[in-house]
Amino acid sequence: MSYAMTEEQELIQSNIREFVTEHVAPLADSLDKNGEYPSEAVVKMAEQGLLGLVVPAEFGGLEAGYLSFVASVEELSRASAATAAILVQHTVATGCIGRWGNAEQKGRLLPGLASGETLGSVAVFENGPKLGAGAEALIARQHEHGYLLKGAKIDVGNAGKAGIYVVFATAEPGDGKKLTAFIVSAGQKGIRVGPITKCTGLHGYQTADISFDDVFVSKEDMLGALHGGSSIVGWTLALAAVAEAAETVGIVATAVKHAAAYSKQRVQFGRSISNFPAVQIMLAGVAANCHAARLVALDAAALIDQGKPFEVESAMVKLLALNLGQKSLCEAVQVEGGYGYSEEMALARLYRDVAGTTLRNSPAEFPEKLIAESIA
Amino acid sequence: MNLTSEQQRLQALAREFTAKHIIPVAMEYDQSAEFPMFAADEAKKAGLNCMAIPKEFGGPGYDSATQLLVVEEWAYGCAAFATMLGGNGLCSYPLLIAGTEEQKKLYFAPIVAGGFGAFALTEPGAGSDAGSCRTVAQLAGDEYVLNGVKCFCTTGGYAKVFVVFASTDLSKGVKGLTAFLVERERTGLAIGSVEHKLGIRCSNTVELLLKDVRIPANHRLGQEGEGMKIAMKTLDMARPIVASIGVGVARRALDECIRFFLHKHSDGKSQPSQAEQFVMADMAIQVEAARALIFHAVSLKDAGLPYSKESAMAKAFATDTAMHVCVEAQQLFGSKGLHSDCVIQKLVRDAKVLQIYEGTNQIQRLVIAGQILRPEAVKSMSQATGR
Repeated sequence: MSYAMTEEQELIQSNIREFVTEHVAPLADSLDKNGEYPSEAVVKMAEQGLLGLVVPAEFGGLEAGYLSFVASVEELSRASAATAAILVQHTVATGCIGRWGNAEQKGRLLPGLASGETLGSVAVFENGPKLGAGAEALIARQHEHGYLLKGAKIDVGNAGKAGIYVVFATAEPGDGKKLTAFIVSAGQKGIRVGPITKCTGLHGYQTADISFDDVFVSKEDMLGALHGGSSIVGWTLALAAVAEAAETVGIVATAVKHAAAYSKQRVQFGRSISNFPAVQIMLAGVAANCHAARLVALDAAALIDQGKPFEVESAMVKLLALNLGQKSLCEAVQVEGGYGYSEEMALARLYRDVAGTTLRNSPAEFPEKLIAESIA
Repeated sequence: MNLTSEQQRLQALAREFTAKHIIPVAMEYDQSAEFPMFAADEAKKAGLNCMAIPKEFGGPGYDSATQLLVVEEWAYGCAAFATMLGGNGLCSYPLLIAGTEEQKKLYFAPIVAGGFGAFALTEPGAGSDAGSCRTVAQLAGDEYVLNGVKCFCTTGGYAKVFVVFASTDLSKGVKGLTAFLVERERTGLAIGSVEHKLGIRCSNTVELLLKDVRIPANHRLGQEGEGMKIAMKTLDMARPIVASIGVGVARRALDECIRFFLHKHSDGKSQPSQAEQFVMADMAIQVEAARALIFHAVSLKDAGLPYSKESAMAKAFATDTAMHVCVEAQQLFGSKGLHSDCVIQKLVRDAKVLQIYEGTNQIQRLVIAGQILRPEAVKSMSQATGR
């Protein structure tokens, strides 16, 4: 699709298209209706190597890079953004360990994550006005050979299914502003995964609040340096934002395609409504914005692959995705009118899913802040 | 605008009604999609049922502004409840426009008694293009025989009486359209499929099947061929009501944001960011502007002046506002706005239909453009500019 893709990346994209047609698309509607975690699809993704897309070959991954990952997320999301969200949450945790972990941590953890034996997750958000500041913030107290985690995280993706969580806590003693990242095994004593949060969309992608009651983590499970978690959080959320934008793009691409097909067969005033400028303007605006967001997402992914800073580009793609997502679905449904509003038609699920792609990991800061500060 | 003491009383009554009967149960009814019949009974008890029906027929006969105020309060609680309760006013409009004394008596009596009326214009192949209606009415002696399928009929599954639009002469297109009054118990009238909708889930939206339905010729509203005119006048009257649903929904989204941020910063040490403040300020501007536009439209109507353009403007602006404000509110809420137990996600689903029903907002723009792009407009411009 793009000048930016190598032959290998295009091959991965076409393989995943086939994979999605065969294993993901047929289940998408029932996944939305029953909301059960799609274990089989995850196993199939693991068999396909998707869970290790960004993991180096030495740890058993495909080493295909972030551009391939982002392109794959779009393809999955065209059929099922909930399934894509599971992969995104996993890959953000995996990428985080790959980027910030030491040799021992990578050797110990990446092979399991790449094969799909272990599912990954990151736990960032807390109740309260600011990360690390609320009454329910996660605190790490020093304890012989390690730390004890106490507090809670909210809206954690892959909750209950993940084998390891990358969590961010405020380590004591410290000034309360500096975060520290830890890798926590889901089996640790004191972790309690709350009930699965019922959400309006992305059914099948499990999120829950997780409480930590003096959960022990050893010094070996500290990711990066003590009080060095803030840059890891920034990187993690930036990666998540790029991948989530690809989810948005995938949903919107399907929605606009559906609306365009509908507009061709829907006849009013003696001709198909696809001939009316009012309809063309809606469809064209969505398609153009969708294409722009896709390119910026791929561009940000390419920067990650090159080891360059990508946080500003990520903020830009997040901003584009925020403007693209729900508004595009509003337009697509508008084209289909009363029929588009029916839960028996394709757009209703996409309408409910799309907000989750842009908002489920939304930090309090507006993406505009980072972009504005970066303009020089 | 200045409200009369009676209008203030009814606004307060509607607010109380909403707090007591709608808000506590709206989320449950959204989940179950069960029709909230109880709310119609309560509205009747409160004197808020079938607001448009004149006093001489047993209704309260409220003025337009009062109807708008009440509907906005209902919609603040739930757009589906407002659609159902407000719809029982809208379905009276064709009778007010074209009904004879006898027809009004026949139609209004079951509604005043607590039943529902329904408006059946849309067909599977005739949405925005109402003129391509395929339902036919054939005169046979002193009866009409109706055949066809109507869809997206609001509260149709519970209605005792319908206003049905059918063609008395397909060759005439729009000019063949005629309105009829049809009772539920007429042989051959059946309810088809029920819509499962993205939003306003507990409002009832059905297909109406008409197979050799025979009605007396005196059930015809107006003359043959006047159907389109009656439909358009009905929509002119109904659009400000739908616009008020938009204002109610938008105001609710704004209030939820205010509550959310005041709670989030209740420690007193922090406050919403300027970005958040501006978003909420914009929401407030739009809610006020939308309401002002609606009341402007009905003030023209009450003064007996043309108001089609302003009615269409109010509908398009207020419902676009509702959609926009709800999406912005969800963004302010972040992940919490995705939770099924959070009203914001319901508002985002409910708001969408407002841009579609009672004439899509594209049709409103056609109406507005048709009114402003007129040769007479150039004449008055010439007077003003000397060109």
